[in-house]
Amino acid sequence: MTGRNRLVAIVGLVVLTATVAACGGSQPAASKTPGAPVTLKIEDFSPEQTAFHAQVAAEYHRLNPNITIDWQSIAQAQYLQTLPLAFQSQHAPDLFYWTAGGTNTMSQLMANGWIRPVSPDGKVPDSWTKRWPAGLFVNGINTSGGKVYGFPWQDTKYWGPGYMYLNKAVFQQAGLDPNKPPATWSELQQTCATIKAKTKAYCLAAPLKDTDWQRTWFAMAAGGLTDLFFDYRTGQYDLAESQNLQTFNYLQGLYRAGYMAPGVNDKAFSRQQFAAGQAGIYMDGPWMISVWDQLGFHSDGYAVAAHPVPDGGATGALSMRDNQNAYWVSSQTKHAAETWAFIQWMTEPTGFFVRNFLKNSFATLAFAENKTFLTDPAWKAVFKIAESKGFRVATPEPVLKCPALAQSKAEVDANRLHPNWEYEVMVSALVNNTNLAPLAQQVAAGRQTVLSSELQKESAGGLKVSLDCYTFSTWSYTQSYNSNQYPKS
Amino acid sequence: MTEGISSPLAAGAAGRRWSARARDLLGGDQRRFWIPVFLAPFLVLYGGFTLWPLLATGLYSIFDWDGIEPLNRFVGLGNYARAFSDPIFWLAFRNTLLFAFLNCVIKLPLTFLAAVLLTQRWLWFKRFFRTVLFLPLILPVAAAGLVFTFLLNPSNGALDSFLVGSGLLKEPIDLLGHDNTALLTIVLVSVWQIFGQYLIYWMAALQSVPEDLYEAAAIDGAGPWRQMVAITLPLIRPVALIITLLALVNSLHVFGAVVTLTGGGPGQATYVVSYYIYNEAFRQAPFAYGYASAVALLFGVLAFLFVFGQGLLARSAERLRREYGV
Repeated sequence: MTGRNRLVAIVGLVVLTATVAACGGSQPAASKTPGAPVTLKIEDFSPEQTAFHAQVAAEYHRLNPNITIDWQSIAQAQYLQTLPLAFQSQHAPDLFYWTAGGTNTMSQLMANGWIRPVSPDGKVPDSWTKRWPAGLFVNGINTSGGKVYGFPWQDTKYWGPGYMYLNKAVFQQAGLDPNKPPATWSELQQTCATIKAKTKAYCLAAPLKDTDWQRTWFAMAAGGLTDLFFDYRTGQYDLAESQNLQTFNYLQGLYRAGYMAPGVNDKAFSRQQFAAGQAGIYMDGPWMISVWDQLGFHSDGYAVAAHPVPDGGATGALSMRDNQNAYWVSSQTKHAAETWAFIQWMTEPTGFFVRNFLKNSFATLAFAENKTFLTDPAWKAVFKIAESKGFRVATPEPVLKCPALAQSKAEVDANRLHPNWEYEVMVSALVNNTNLAPLAQQVAAGRQTVLSSELQKESAGGLKVSLDCYTFSTWSYTQSYNSNQYPKS
Repeated sequence: MTEGISSPLAAGAAGRRWSARARDLLGGDQRRFWIPVFLAPFLVLYGGFTLWPLLATGLYSIFDWDGIEPLNRFVGLGNYARAFSDPIFWLAFRNTLLFAFLNCVIKLPLTFLAAVLLTQRWLWFKRFFRTVLFLPLILPVAAAGLVFTFLLNPSNGALDSFLVGSGLLKEPIDLLGHDNTALLTIVLVSVWQIFGQYLIYWMAALQSVPEDLYEAAAIDGAGPWRQMVAITLPLIRPVALIITLLALVNSLHVFGAVVTLTGGGPGQATYVVSYYIYNEAFRQAPFAYGYASAVALLFGVLAFLFVFGQGLLARSAERLRREYGV
């Protein structure tokens, strides 16, 4: 063989080897032999639950030796970007977490081609759906065409913003009783003045960075209107409505008076300030109970109370939306039967998953008796507050009034316009001590224009949607909109 | 029967026959063969990682595409029209130019001065100073941003604690919390972080000036300032232009510092174009790849025009300077 021919042969061999090696990276075809080893891949953005997921994987593997659970959790921002890439590259997990679309999550995921029914044949036994309160499996939200695609995850009666945490040491130092929290705006102002005068701590640790302002805003805005940026009574984006402007002006007054900890801080910083006794009050959701625990700040160090309301009484309430269908079965899964079996095991109301999930206080679960397992005094306070009349109400669901909204992208497009717009204008007005009203009107008008025009386009294209789908003129902000109030189809 | 390479002589003869054959094929100029062969790897990489993404960006910019669904929602110039009519885009664009201008105006003279000092023979502990000034460059931008977030925090940051404790200020100042100071603070943090890189550039430029010119000038009685003005600056001018251009282009890409220090805030006070793209395109599902592509292309063209315009102005000034003999 000549030197040249040998060189060509060597190069060809290298190329062939590289090609075979590259092709060899794909996953082997799913084995259909019963009992064959199977790896179920689950992905979500709960990195604080990593140790718990490892326990779940170990326990499930003990019970099902042929099945290995590979549960990966990454930070939320990265997760929202990597999951679409996983689907694009045909390497999607078997089970994944996604709530980005709110009530329309299922519709969006179906449009993307990402999901399949939870069970191999789409049918689920009644014994499984009865784990949830009646009425939570709704066509257009988690079922479609008679098949179940999702299942409610968190119990939204308790889970959401609006709780006020009081640092007992700061309150006691100020001569205040943490068991008698401020219930109205005036009382909050007085409490802040006392804390400022008698301690070195700030009154309120209110994060302002990015969207973290929502933690304080949602709690306080709910006292006047809702914790949403959309008014389902009028069918309008509502940042410029008088009640919201009033709430903002009140908070701006607190900021001007120096009652809020200075700095455009993120939620992690503000939480540490509170736990370290540098601030007396922090507002957020019940997930803080596990966060405080991780910071070494336990429930004997703080009290939980409802958010203060306007002096004349609450004219609004926090929203309770049955849209927390969080885990979905991937359309690319090659182990539909095994994934369904895992889902059934995971959602056993008194099973290993529920007991240990709730023991860690990660959240409340829609298919579990939360009060049985969440016995920390802080959780007891949360339950009592959430069950008080008018604290959290069921908000109208437009898709239940107009089922065609499941195919609509109008609301998504309207919300996608400058995603953090509301927070940005509020923080800007807060730190610069300017009038929010002009900017709020700009925001509301901007989003409303997109919503209206997109709905008109879709309607012209034959979809039965309109702004009326988002308008519930008989709804009172302080009462739940019940299922029997929707038009019968 | 195959020929075997039995000896170096035979191998050399085979090689010469092959070269002769190649020469015949290529009309006698072997370079026509070898030039593309050596260029091929670069062209493949350049095409794959520069040209193709650029073309793809242009393609995506005319669609309303979320990166997942098929590319079928054609909008033409709709994305560009949306960007043009968005005041927040223009705010981000203005902030980006302002950041780039301030960044260059502060860091280039400072790093040049530091480079001049570090190349002086009389300076002791040169290596120590070089190391200290270069160290911030090793830190990732995000890490530097996080560190300064804590240092500059008005609640309990080290800077405010010192200023208030020493009596220089009565109350802490929130540098990152006010429209008037937030962008400038990001500029200063960025200058601190990138200082070492431009220090190296200037030192390399200064060390390229022949030493004997300075000796000759010293013999003629020229002092340090005269040497600087008459020898150093003229000779490093071509490199200085390149360093300035690099500084300008790099500072237009600011992103990490904004994300970690202010998140574009307070409000939208420190929005820059890269952060605007990130916020508009990737902060909420479904993503807006199409719009992000349009904004990126639009900004690229505007930035190119800006830099090109600067280059024209600089050349015009140089020509005038020569005409007037100053």
